[in-house]
Amino acid sequence: MAVLEAGVFGYEKADRKMNAIEVKNVTKVYPAIKGYKELLLHPFQRKGTTALRGVDLEVRPGQCFCLMGPNGAGKTTLIKILSTLVLPDEGKAFIKGHDLEKETDEVKKHIGFALAEERSFYWRLTGLQNLDFFAALNNIPLSKRRKKIQEVIDLVGLEKAAGRRFNTYSTGMRQMMAIARALLTDPDILFVDEPTRSLDPVAAQNIRTFLRKEMVENHGKTVFWATHDLSEAAEFAHTIAIIAEGQIKAEGSVRSLTGQGSFPLKEVYEKAVKEPAPESKAFGN
Amino acid sequence: MKRLSKNRPLRAKLLGIDVMSVLMQKLFAFLKRDFLEEASYKYSFIASFFGIFLSSATFFFISKLISPNSSSVLAPYGGDYFSFVIIGIAFSGLLAIFQERLPAIIRQAQVTGTLEAILVSRTSIPVILFGSSLYYFLYSIASTVFHLILAVVVFGMQVEKINWLGAVLTFLLTALCFLSIGILSACFILVYKKGNPFSWIYGSVSGLLGGVFFPIKVLPVWIKWISYILPITYSLEGLRKSIIVTSPFSEILPNIIALSVFAVVFFPLSIYLFRLALKKAKKDGTLTHY
Repeated sequence: MAVLEAGVFGYEKADRKMNAIEVKNVTKVYPAIKGYKELLLHPFQRKGTTALRGVDLEVRPGQCFCLMGPNGAGKTTLIKILSTLVLPDEGKAFIKGHDLEKETDEVKKHIGFALAEERSFYWRLTGLQNLDFFAALNNIPLSKRRKKIQEVIDLVGLEKAAGRRFNTYSTGMRQMMAIARALLTDPDILFVDEPTRSLDPVAAQNIRTFLRKEMVENHGKTVFWATHDLSEAAEFAHTIAIIAEGQIKAEGSVRSLTGQGSFPLKEVYEKAVKEPAPESKAFGN
Repeated sequence: MKRLSKNRPLRAKLLGIDVMSVLMQKLFAFLKRDFLEEASYKYSFIASFFGIFLSSATFFFISKLISPNSSSVLAPYGGDYFSFVIIGIAFSGLLAIFQERLPAIIRQAQVTGTLEAILVSRTSIPVILFGSSLYYFLYSIASTVFHLILAVVVFGMQVEKINWLGAVLTFLLTALCFLSIGILSACFILVYKKGNPFSWIYGSVSGLLGGVFFPIKVLPVWIKWISYILPITYSLEGLRKSIIVTSPFSEILPNIIALSVFAVVFFPLSIYLFRLALKKAKKDGTLTHY
């Protein structure tokens, strides 16, 4: 019996390491903000908004994985959980076999997170000064820092702007700088949250091409990409997961989702998004 | 084609000899960030030093109302009110800086989103907190020294022989105690975002009862006990004895012991509570809410 258990456990661990990302039954309920009246009448009553309901996902290394869904579907919550910034209420998640909650330091070695929030930089510092600060926080020694920063700046094509103050950058440049920051540690997995939001078509296309061609195809990285842009997902993803109301409604390659191209992705997406979600498993809602 | 270089040798190095060097580099990175940010607001930077001159001048003229050696409660501090109060305001500035700046930095990082970017990095919570305070700590040393130089050179404050050992030990322990209070304030900001009670309750009580503007001997007995549970009381007592009246180390030692007790209790407690506050913010998903 002991041999069997060890064997099963060993298999599970090895299998997890094969996946870049693994999410098992993750549920997240954010506590609702109470009004004064509710706070006085029911101070201990727990209410919440369900952001994720029993999400299961597996992402293989070297994939461009698109998490697609409407606003408020739970995309950012899932990315933040996978980036160790939000704790799940139920379920487990693993990055290259490492438990997100128990092995946070190990997880951080493998991930890079390009935040959608462009204000996550110091606006009165230059791009170089910003990258220098975050490189130091990521254990890149002084002797290698300049070379590393130059590398990522060259990679994202911001050579000319790097010495300028961050507040002079365009939205597209800020987004590229966020990607450059995420690449400082040369992570195996890159999380990008709506990287083309509010960009002009040319800048958006540059970022898409960069992520798919440069990151995935040339550097073999796993890109976990949250978007609500159908054409973006259809053109660049190996695998698409459609999320709505905190649930994964459909998952697969574009070909499999569209029945080998029998019906448009838009139709699949709309059908999946409209599918009603079951009652929340957690408190509230 | 450009390729990214691997950081494998770094990982190996981190297991052994270079941990200290990496730590120092991180602290320096925080220091550089805050200096560059503060220095970019040039007028505020200059105005803060002008403010020190004004407050020194104000207390210099107030002290003219109290003739030297006229008050018995000032006798243990050399009898000169100006010397007494300058030490009080110069070093209580340190408390204000830790108590107000650290929560302000955390709040600003929440509002701008830099907090998430820092927390995703491979830097521990104590290093983030200590690093975020470092610039303001050094700035407070600079402003305290400026305060004292101004008081001595321009306003004629009498300083004889400083007990450096007592002064430095008292100052370092004071900084650790005040940093702990700043971290406790930051915990509150992390969870509740605004309305930090530590700042105004502790700050006001310390200002009134910690011996900043007058010796605690003048306080009524029924309230004096509060002074004895405030770290600032021991800080200012120790510093005045070290700087104004040059007491022997044995006379400063009780203050150093009291401050050590505060530091040993409050510093680990504040770090622990900050971890709890961070966990709660991560659980509630409110790290960047404001």
